Amino acid sequence: METVNKVEMNDKVEINTKKDILIMKDIVKDFATCRALDGVDFSMKKGEVVAIIGSSGSGKSTLLRSINGLEQITSGEIDLRGTTSMVFQHFNLFPHMSCLKNIMYAPMKVQKVSKAEAEKKARELLEMVGLPDKADSFPSQISGGQKQRIAIARALAMNPDIMLFDEPTSALDPEITGEVLAVMQDLALAHMSMIVVTHEMKFAKDVSDRVVYMDGGKIIEEGPPSEIFEQPKSQRLQEFLSK
Amino acid sequence: MNVFVTDLIEWINYAGGILPALLAGAWVTVKLFFWTLLFSLPLGLPIALGSSSRFWPIKALCRAYVFVFRGTPLLLQLFFFYFFLPIAFDITMDAFTTGVITFILNYAAYFAEIYRGGINGIDKGQYEAAHALSLSKRQTMFGIILPQTFKIILPPVSNEAIVLVKDTALVSVIAVSELMKASRGAVNRDVDMTAYILAAVIYLLMTFVLTILSNYLEKRSLRYDGKEAG
Repeated sequence: METVNKVEMNDKVEINTKKDILIMKDIVKDFATCRALDGVDFSMKKGEVVAIIGSSGSGKSTLLRSINGLEQITSGEIDLRGTTSMVFQHFNLFPHMSCLKNIMYAPMKVQKVSKAEAEKKARELLEMVGLPDKADSFPSQISGGQKQRIAIARALAMNPDIMLFDEPTSALDPEITGEVLAVMQDLALAHMSMIVVTHEMKFAKDVSDRVVYMDGGKIIEEGPPSEIFEQPKSQRLQEFLSK
Repeated sequence: MNVFVTDLIEWINYAGGILPALLAGAWVTVKLFFWTLLFSLPLGLPIALGSSSRFWPIKALCRAYVFVFRGTPLLLQLFFFYFFLPIAFDITMDAFTTGVITFILNYAAYFAEIYRGGINGIDKGQYEAAHALSLSKRQTMFGIILPQTFKIILPPVSNEAIVLVKDTALVSVIAVSELMKASRGAVNRDVDMTAYILAAVIYLLMTFVLTILSNYLEKRSLRYDGKEAG
């Protein structure tokens, strides 16, 4: 824990020398009719931004969801050294609460933060995602892109060590994905550890430190975006990228 | 014309004469209605939650409870509690109390099923979001899920409440002097249908008030509208 804090204080340390924050070993996940994850090894370092790409059914969402226990793995080891928050494809905001209360609720209930403190933090986060005027709106009254930005603020309110994004722009109209991706880019620049399951190749290319390509429940190839997009080694990845 | 006016005045006099007895009966009906709702509405919740419990004995017990109370006539249940309990367990209760208890047990089963349906109607994503935010099961149920079910269950619950107003007439068979019994008494005694007409009007007034109340609650629950997509 102490070493982690030291690293936190010194942003300029190269990612390679930073501490592992998540180590997953030989992860297998069986559903009733198929094997979604077939022996996946994955690890990430503090401050890293990892994009997971692959076609539907490749196991990328299942991998993400097994990190925070939304999927119980069949076998394997998960060593998670910190807390996570998640942003979902369909936002999953609480429709009976205002945007402000959506953000305040978990810190107050789970971390027992005082109401005043939770509200202060929530308003800062609303400012950060560019929606300070939506504090009192209900989720049904705002657009999809705005909902997702509120959802990001809600996830950040728990001060997670890792942010998990499960196809955060897939349910949005193409012309408004930009506002969500911009917020995510800000987070990346602020050295938030992030795992992003995405179809946004441009985001993966421009923002991530590492790209992981999955197919058939396995990690086929991974590396810095320049390698993955410019010199894909495996045939499957070449085919995937040419689509 | 004169004959008609005289008849009308005579009828009004008669109706005025039997009205106090009918209103006394209506008061008993209202009390039965009130006590039943007061206890069966909350009692339905643990039964609904138990019906979806992962601990099988609780689940079996709650499902069996609903099966029995929903699957047998309310009239039979009234007779059972009124005649059987005093004999089998030497418990004596007055007819009104017996009626209230039977109605509470019966309506709790119906409300439990309505609640269960409402809880099942909430999107899976709400549970996942709550889990991802580290909310406990209890916090998720009481803070996230149940407040959202309110809007879903309001119409069927209102409907049951209106059915309850009419079901209260059943307790007349165990000698509770509610509105139905009072009106039947007057009809049999005077060989005059007036009491039934007045009783019908009183029942309609009660259900009318309930309809207004449920419309009001429904409007209030629409402060936020529409569930989220997905």
